Amino acid sequence: MFINYEHENHVYNVTIERKENFFFVTYNNTEYKVEAEELKPGQLKFKVGDRVVKSIITEGDKEKYVFVDGAVFKVKPVELTGFKKKKKKEMGDLSSPISGKVVSIKVKNGDSVKKGAVLLVIEAMKMEYLIRAPYSGKIKKINFKENEQIEIGQVTLEMSKKGG
Amino acid sequence: MDVIESNIDTSSKEYSDNFKHYELLVKDLKQKIAEFQKGGGEEKIKLHKSRKKMLARERIEALVDHDTPFMEFNPLAGFDMYNNKAPCAGIVTGIGLIHGREVVIIANDATVSGGTYYPMTVKKHLRAQEIALNNNLPCIYLVDSGGAFLPMQDEVFPDREHFGRIFYNQAVMSAKGIPQISSVMGSCTAGGAYVPAMSDETIIVKGTGTIFLGGPPLVKAATGEEVSSEDLGGADVHCRESGVADHYAHDDTEAIRMARNIVENLNRPEKTQLDIKKPEEPLYDIKEIYGVIPKDMKKPFEVREIIARIVDGSKFHEFKYLYGPTIVCGFARIMGYPVGILANNGVLFSESALKGSHFIEICCQRKIPLVFLQNITGFMVGRKYEAGGIAKDGAKMVNAVATANVPKFTVLIGGSFGAGNYGMCGRAYQPRQLWMWPNARISVMGGEQAANVLLTVKRDQLWRKGKELTKEEEKEITEPIQKKYETEGNPYYSTARIWDDGIIDPIDTRLVLGLGISASLNASIPDWKPGVFRM
Repeated sequence: MFINYEHENHVYNVTIERKENFFFVTYNNTEYKVEAEELKPGQLKFKVGDRVVKSIITEGDKEKYVFVDGAVFKVKPVELTGFKKKKKKEMGDLSSPISGKVVSIKVKNGDSVKKGAVLLVIEAMKMEYLIRAPYSGKIKKINFKENEQIEIGQVTLEMSKKGG
Repeated sequence: MDVIESNIDTSSKEYSDNFKHYELLVKDLKQKIAEFQKGGGEEKIKLHKSRKKMLARERIEALVDHDTPFMEFNPLAGFDMYNNKAPCAGIVTGIGLIHGREVVIIANDATVSGGTYYPMTVKKHLRAQEIALNNNLPCIYLVDSGGAFLPMQDEVFPDREHFGRIFYNQAVMSAKGIPQISSVMGSCTAGGAYVPAMSDETIIVKGTGTIFLGGPPLVKAATGEEVSSEDLGGADVHCRESGVADHYAHDDTEAIRMARNIVENLNRPEKTQLDIKKPEEPLYDIKEIYGVIPKDMKKPFEVREIIARIVDGSKFHEFKYLYGPTIVCGFARIMGYPVGILANNGVLFSESALKGSHFIEICCQRKIPLVFLQNITGFMVGRKYEAGGIAKDGAKMVNAVATANVPKFTVLIGGSFGAGNYGMCGRAYQPRQLWMWPNARISVMGGEQAANVLLTVKRDQLWRKGKELTKEEEKEITEPIQKKYETEGNPYYSTARIWDDGIIDPIDTRLVLGLGISASLNASIPDWKPGVFRM
């Protein structure tokens, strides 16, 4: 397994492989053989070479706090691929991803919608493309009618942000 | 390598709806296969066994190495054809391991119309031979067949890809050093007699195995001579007098042991070496694919979610992530073997086709097997795209796919429509194997689109005569076409006609691809020589 951790703005790339009772941890081209034992939930004993380390790990919202020898390390897992980022970018767009036909409009002017709600359905090349709300807010203006043709890049509707 | 991070919410209603729907599809598939595996039915099985013969599948199980998988091809060939009188088309084919090496096994099922060859039986036999030829695999024929199915002689005998091709293939493969081995465990009449006669080494079972060009009734009609089957073409005649067979077995079990001994002594060359790693399970449960595939064909899905559940450790080194995003290309491992994956994530545009072609070039250069995950509604249409040269860009991809000589594997995980089928290595592009998922659909275009195209043509014709269509008349044109496309686009319609190598449960995809790649390494991978790319 491949894990990226962030600690004090630095990303550490670590590979961990489990073989029977041992974990083989590779960092910076060096492999460490680690024996781990759970003393009680959240409390672990590690044996790395001759060194024995006891540590307590607590879970934060997104980060973990690792207590070792009186010091506290705040670490946070980092996204492994750009996959998730892409999803976010997609959400930010109210324009049509393809030339096709607007087959269904799920909202009307003045509606309040939640982030992720389906606003409009476009059909092209036998597939349906959903336009979702990139953020929570109010529908200000719908630029198309049902069964109307839409070109790639045209903005389907306009929204105002919640509170804005 | 980077790991694909999944964004599937397995607790959502959509997911569980999809999952339940897919479970039904898989259940239906398994029922259909189980039903077909009964062959000719209880009575025929009883009769077969009373002759001290093993069933086709029992013979195969005894032949392959203990506890190794047998990868069966086309278990639903002939489905809903010939009044369902030819389950599995009366023949069992597939790849199995004998003494650790892959072989193609072709076994007649004599409980189905005496093992005679229906048109689909011929096609299935030829397809198995083609797989043997492409992958350089020895062929073992477990023969128990009355020859061609006479009532359909015009569809099994005269043409290029008909009965005669079986023996042509045997000769051609033998010439290429691909061993041809027969075990005669029932009748081998007329044309069927050539299967053992054309083999490099042949076994015959005493009492049940017979080989002759004309059976006793034909001999009597032609010359008046009265003779029993055994005296005419039994084991003693052929092992002691004629030399048509080489090994004399007392029963099926002995014949199978002899066949294993033959394979043990084939002196097969080493397999092609790839950089193979220890297989790793994907990080995510493969079965989650059931929930990822939308119930409604019109809804797109993120294909990386599928890749994440098929490849080792869900690790994927993606290529040109930001360019032509409607096709996902990248390197991964399946059961430890390196593969290049091309998977559709929307309609193909010029950029996607160029990206696909580039990626295929890389894989051919590096001799990495290609896996196509096909879910394609076609190349984008419209003035803008035609003017942008989508036809020539699509042609580049088709060219690259056609000439790519690394082992290619195609899985239809969704739609397969129009030229997209070509670019994504459809049947005509000779992937080593082509599998379908039970949700897949295949046709030249969507039923709705075909109906509308034909309607427009008709309308224009009438318009020139000054006539118009009423709504009812329009319906009369479109409805039957839509219905026809729905029927013929169904995966069972496809698999019955051997347009694919079988329909599989998505959770078996890794295994099936792994076995396919392993088998493909019996053949060498030549250097790539592409055609002319229109620039």
